[in-house]
Amino acid sequence: MIDVQQLSKSFKTVKALDELSFTAADGEITGLLGPNGAGKTTCLRIIYGLLKADTGTAKIQGINASVEPIEARKQLGIFPDKFGLYERLTAREQVRYFGELQGLTGAKLTNSVSEVIERLKMNDIADRRSAGFSQGQRMKVALAQAMVHQPGHLILDEPSRGLDVMSTRILRDMLRELRAQGTCILFSSHVMQEVAALCDRVVVMAKGKVAAVGSPTELCELTGESALEDAFVKIIGSDEGIAA
Amino acid sequence: MSTLLTIWKKELRDAIRDKRSVLAAMSYAFFGPALMAVAFFFLISQLTDKEDIGINIHGADAAPEFVQYLNQQGIVEREKPWPSGTTPIDLTIPASWDEDLRQGSPVELTLKADWSAQKQQSDLERVEQAIRSYGSQIAAFRLLTRGIDPRVVTPLQVNKQDLATRGSKAALIMGSVLVFILMSVFWSGMNVAIDISAGERERHSLEFLLTQPTSSFNIVTGKALAASTFALFGALLTLVIVPGVFAFVPLSKIGMSLSFAPHMLLTMWLLLVPLALLAAALQLFVSFRAKNFKEAQTYISFLLIVPMAAAFGVEFAKVKTPALFYLPLTGQHQAFLSMIRGEDVNWQAALICSVITLAAAIGLYRVIAKMLRSEKTVFGL
Repeated sequence: MIDVQQLSKSFKTVKALDELSFTAADGEITGLLGPNGAGKTTCLRIIYGLLKADTGTAKIQGINASVEPIEARKQLGIFPDKFGLYERLTAREQVRYFGELQGLTGAKLTNSVSEVIERLKMNDIADRRSAGFSQGQRMKVALAQAMVHQPGHLILDEPSRGLDVMSTRILRDMLRELRAQGTCILFSSHVMQEVAALCDRVVVMAKGKVAAVGSPTELCELTGESALEDAFVKIIGSDEGIAA
Repeated sequence: MSTLLTIWKKELRDAIRDKRSVLAAMSYAFFGPALMAVAFFFLISQLTDKEDIGINIHGADAAPEFVQYLNQQGIVEREKPWPSGTTPIDLTIPASWDEDLRQGSPVELTLKADWSAQKQQSDLERVEQAIRSYGSQIAAFRLLTRGIDPRVVTPLQVNKQDLATRGSKAALIMGSVLVFILMSVFWSGMNVAIDISAGERERHSLEFLLTQPTSSFNIVTGKALAASTFALFGALLTLVIVPGVFAFVPLSKIGMSLSFAPHMLLTMWLLLVPLALLAAALQLFVSFRAKNFKEAQTYISFLLIVPMAAAFGVEFAKVKTPALFYLPLTGQHQAFLSMIRGEDVNWQAALICSVITLAAAIGLYRVIAKMLRSEKTVFGL
């Protein structure tokens, strides 16, 4: 479970997060939905401890990442905002490297690596150097790196950007499969269809605050709109009506 | 500890597959000594050159015998014009030569030249030497005609050889070789150091690496070890190649010998180990602050000047203070200097210097690790 309480964060004069609070439960997919600049990436970076909040806490299974970053990160699989691959290493070598950094060793390491490569159907590219990989192939490697150690929590920052239909489907199937296994999944997006198709709960963010929380259908009902997109626009646009 | 090794192994594998890094590490060792040897080869042949010296001789008619003597010594009337930028060497023989000699009064010869011109130094030396020796021949004759053994006026026989300039040239050569060896650890690992720090940031893989459950000190140290490994590989190549190349330089012509025994090379390499760790620390410190590869390269080129200036400065400014034996870089330099001169090495100082160098390196790793925990450095805020 990921528990975010009263997070505030400012960069010089810009207030990125303003008393943001929400929780993401185990066995559920929680979507962080917001327009560009709403503070989604900042929020996720605070959760995995690369940024420090001015006030408030973010806890993973009760562990605060800004106090015990190493313990917190052991619980996490991360798919960051920007991910680069090591172009001179093969996909398998990269996944193995991060498996080792997560503390896996010996046969367990080798098995985990093979398993995750199998699951993401990337056997064809596993032993190729990653220079020249397509966007979809890169996403697979990044996802494999994030979940090689089978973390209880998965944080993804706009994972589907730049992906074609096939790659998006693989990603969705993967996330549903992980949810069925009880993984707590938190992902940010500004793509409505994706959130509607995938999320159990949606946290709508605007200007660093929570504008609304609920399942996609609940949000539609709340605003009286039939499509989530319209609901979203209504929520973001009239923050005194619904967000209050 | 094990994550440290994991990072070291991965960075090493990554770097070995990078042709640019490998080439950079090896090019220094392969091309550097060869270039230096060629330069010294010309320097030495210039120094030991016994070609005729062409100078302007005015009033040669007044003293044909003297001019003939000069010719025998390889000093002749110049036929070619002086190259531009060179001050001519002018020797003027007065018309009163015969007259003065007959009366036993000194003949006033005028020698006009630029004594500060490096290239003409040995030419001038030879001209002066020839004039002096002709003068002492005349003196000897005069004494003989008066029935006196000329040896009574030279109670001390000085066998003067032109060692002044050669000695300094020998020191220049030796000093340059040492500085060159020292710089190998700064040069050979440079490309790797940039690639694993600024390059990592540019490729956007730094953020993910920092979200791994391992301390940033482990990350920094693992990376520094990889860069140092390359640096030490370059240093090893340099140490192996330098003696081989210098075997072809006629150092004996200027009365100098550079002998590198295998155990001496090994000792030098061992002394370079802490220095390589420090070099990697400095390079990582600089390039983790850069936004991309290019920017880091610019900063690091400046960084290269610092040890080079320090080494050359100590070498040629003849600074002498005991602190030099203990400070990083200069300490190794002093130890190498003693070794190459065949003197006793101050092992205690060399050891203390190694410890200080190592401590400085680890201290810097800690600083960089702290830098990587700060959001300002990581995201360039």
